[in-house]
Amino acid sequence: MDKIKVEICVGTTCFILGASELQELERFLPEGLRDKVDITGATCLGMCKDDNYGQAPFVRVGNRIVSNASISSVIEQIEEQLKHR
Amino acid sequence: MISNDTYVEIEYYQKTKTGEDVCGDDFKTVSLEDESRYIAVLSDGLGSGIKASLLANMTTAMALKFATRDMEILQSSEIIMDSLPVCEVRKISYATFSIVDILASGKVRITEMDNPEFIHLRGHEEIHHEKLKQVSSNWPDRELQLSNFEVMPEDRIIFFSDGVSQAGLGNKPHKFGWKREGCLEYALQCINNQPQISARTLSRAIVTQACGMNPQCRCIDDITCAVVYFRKPRRLRLLTGPPFKKDNDSEYANYVVNFEGRTIICGGTTAQILARELNREIKTHLFMRNNGLPPTSEMEGVSMITEGILTLTEVARCMENTVPQQEMAPAVKDMINMFMESDVIEFIVGTKVNEAHQDPSLPVDLEIRRNIIKKIKNLLETLYRKKVFMKYI
Ligand code: FES
Repeated sequence: MDKIKVEICVGTTCFILGASELQELERFLPEGLRDKVDITGATCLGMCKDDNYGQAPFVRVGNRIVSNASISSVIEQIEEQLKHR
Repeated sequence: MISNDTYVEIEYYQKTKTGEDVCGDDFKTVSLEDESRYIAVLSDGLGSGIKASLLANMTTAMALKFATRDMEILQSSEIIMDSLPVCEVRKISYATFSIVDILASGKVRITEMDNPEFIHLRGHEEIHHEKLKQVSSNWPDRELQLSNFEVMPEDRIIFFSDGVSQAGLGNKPHKFGWKREGCLEYALQCINNQPQISARTLSRAIVTQACGMNPQCRCIDDITCAVVYFRKPRRLRLLTGPPFKKDNDSEYANYVVNFEGRTIICGGTTAQILARELNREIKTHLFMRNNGLPPTSEMEGVSMITEGILTLTEVARCMENTVPQQEMAPAVKDMINMFMESDVIEFIVGTKVNEAHQDPSLPVDLEIRRNIIKKIKNLLETLYRKKVFMKYI
């Protein structure tokens, strides 16, 4: 099974609004999820310039955007997507 | 003859005698008439510490003034020697000097008094020059040595205080000191290992090597070495901010492709645009520790990619307050080092407005970007004598 791609935006807007903590995501991932995701960084996902996406910081999980992202909301989204596989 | 495309890199490095607070050698340099002429002066004051420092500083200040005004050299030296304060103990006033006067046409005139003789290198070969000697009737034992010659691109001129040539004095294996020959040999070795070695690196290497000749690496004297390198300019281009019009994106990308030199990209969106235009992939170093700054990324053909405003602000702050390197965030340190190792720096500033509107209190604002770049430009020009250009797109 393909891993779920998790892209954490570390552009200026996202970084200031909380992405600096999201960088630690891997450390907080439950054991069972570790080998199911592929975590990378992104320079700016472009959502911060678009009103339609809500509040930064943004994380892309698979092909869904998590806005106002926190470690727990990202983990939730990963689990959600695993359920539907 | 040196061409228009030759950059005159003048750098020096020095170490103070162990136990003294101030260096008794002094080095000063100016560039005149729109960089068509450079003058550099090195002086070694008698003794060490504050007294020596005073003598050396007075000497370089006067020598630089006189040379700038094209005063007759013998007369200038007499004034210098006459005006230095006399040492209570030794009843003499004394400071050596070397004046290196360079015209953009490639003509060089060097006047030396009692410093070790300068070294002129063309590639791996030392070039010797006939020297004209002059003596003032008031100071019969102070001989001036004058040399006039032309340099070629890639030539180097090395000159130093006797802290270099006498390094290791009294100790094996250099009982009589490293001497000018030892320094020459070492400089050639450095050039052999690294043919494009910068004046900055070479002067540091020589001083460090000289210092290492002394027992426990203590400086038994002030050590100063200056290097002039007539080099092909090392170019650096920094792109930051998205272009004003989207149509300009491809032109923007050309600034990366058609460029002989190093490139830095500052800003996530900027990096995205360039990656798209150039069809290259960006890799972000997510787990890199960058002291509270966003991590850096990489892309083929680009030396460095950082976040924009926060990183640039920190770069400006560190440059302005001369923050020690070990306290800088890695990205900041790397960027400043790249500035230092470049001669000509271009800032290409994208001017798209209203970049992020998520939070009006965020400092992501064109005006701020422009102001930080202006500040960095100023610092580079005044503190580091870099040639800096700025272009808005
Ligand atoms: S900085 Fe994160 S989407 Fe722009």
